[in-house]
Amino acid sequence: MTVSVTPANFSFVDFDAELIRRIGDGLLEVLGIDRPVHVEVDETTPLGRVRTEIGDTITVRVESGAFEDSRKPRQQSDEATTANLGRALLRARDRISGGFGEAPADDELSLRQIAAWETYCVGRLARMGVPVNQQRWKYNFRNRHGFTDVADAAFERIWASDGLTWGELETVSLEGAGTPS
Amino acid sequence: MRKFFPVDSLARDSRFNQITMKQSQADPRSALIATEEKRPKTNRLQPSRADASDAARSLMHGIFVGEIQALEGAGRTCHDFETGTEAPFALKLDMARQAWDEARHVEISVKLSEWMGTEIGQYAENTVLFEAACSTDPVLRLAGVNRALEGLAIDVFTTMKEFGDIAGDPFLEFCEDWMLADEVTHVKMGSDWLRRITENDPERRKKALEFQSVVDKIFSFGGTRSDSQESPIGLARRFRELAGFSDDEVEDIADVSLRALEERKAFARQAQAEAVEQFSAS
Repeated sequence: MTVSVTPANFSFVDFDAELIRRIGDGLLEVLGIDRPVHVEVDETTPLGRVRTEIGDTITVRVESGAFEDSRKPRQQSDEATTANLGRALLRARDRISGGFGEAPADDELSLRQIAAWETYCVGRLARMGVPVNQQRWKYNFRNRHGFTDVADAAFERIWASDGLTWGELETVSLEGAGTPS
Repeated sequence: MRKFFPVDSLARDSRFNQITMKQSQADPRSALIATEEKRPKTNRLQPSRADASDAARSLMHGIFVGEIQALEGAGRTCHDFETGTEAPFALKLDMARQAWDEARHVEISVKLSEWMGTEIGQYAENTVLFEAACSTDPVLRLAGVNRALEGLAIDVFTTMKEFGDIAGDPFLEFCEDWMLADEVTHVKMGSDWLRRITENDPERRKKALEFQSVVDKIFSFGGTRSDSQESPIGLARRFRELAGFSDDEVEDIADVSLRALEERKAFARQAQAEAVEQFSAS
């Protein structure tokens, strides 16, 4: 399976479509995803949102800030590209491979649910060797679950987990937020 | 020791990447002019924003580098002017005290950044703050740095304090509150010294206030700070009042900030159109 990228050339930012494609190919192999992936970069905005549509092809719509080097505006970062494309693809794989059938659609997820799922994805990426700052994701998790020891314990559990179902993830997240299901 | 240090010679290690305001403004991308579908309902920094954690981390890093530059500016004012003939000893003593406060703020900002998962130098450092501290007239520095820059700091700390309060982050809320108290003092120092030194020199006062207005507009960061919900940082009217700003002065800053927001949007539209044109031609 291969990754395609649009646009092929960038005018607002100094990004390299070929680099995005290579990083995407590497991620598909590591994650064992057997569907073609199309990455569509919106270079007109510095925001960093990433949206995914799953069909015969997995389409990842990325705002340029998601692949940008925060030290050098408008320049591409290998690390940010890997981490943010990796997160999107892991979420897609979760939905495709089962166990996440009852998860709400992306635009219906609450901020708490997004934070829990992101934590689950980034924890797995870290174990695959992708450089990530765990404290960044803990801070995000705390903002959505509370600045408490219970929330921190839930974060550690999710971060260290593999093979969770949506129901299991949601249960730990709700416990972390102090509202057990 | 060298006097009147240039902005491009500030001491930074390899972790930092400095950019000027011109470079920052030259970015044709802008979240402000996005279509309705793509634009967030509000840009104000609040925990309810989907990107709140990363936006807060970015702003915290901006505060950190701002504190370094404020420390450098206050320290420079102690050294750049002759005591007595160019600046009263008591003014320099106030600047020394401010440098002490800013050094403490740098340390607090580093700790808060670690807490939020940000590395030192993770974001580009805009050097516009120090540029305002390079005037050869100490009164203009007081107007530009203590009243405009520290005034902006009041707005930023108020926004961050509220963010910490709403998110339930005890450290962020507590630390920002402490730093906010210092900033109010720094602005008050600037207001008091500006009045005292220019008491019998209305022309110099006028020039200083004009310089402050120019710096206020620059520090509005192209609309980053204003009363509009399109701006991430609000105008902290109450704390500005406590810091010695008159109602008219606050209204003037509000107007300048809104104009800066509109100018930034117009600039971004033009830059995007030019980028599209260049792309089509190539």
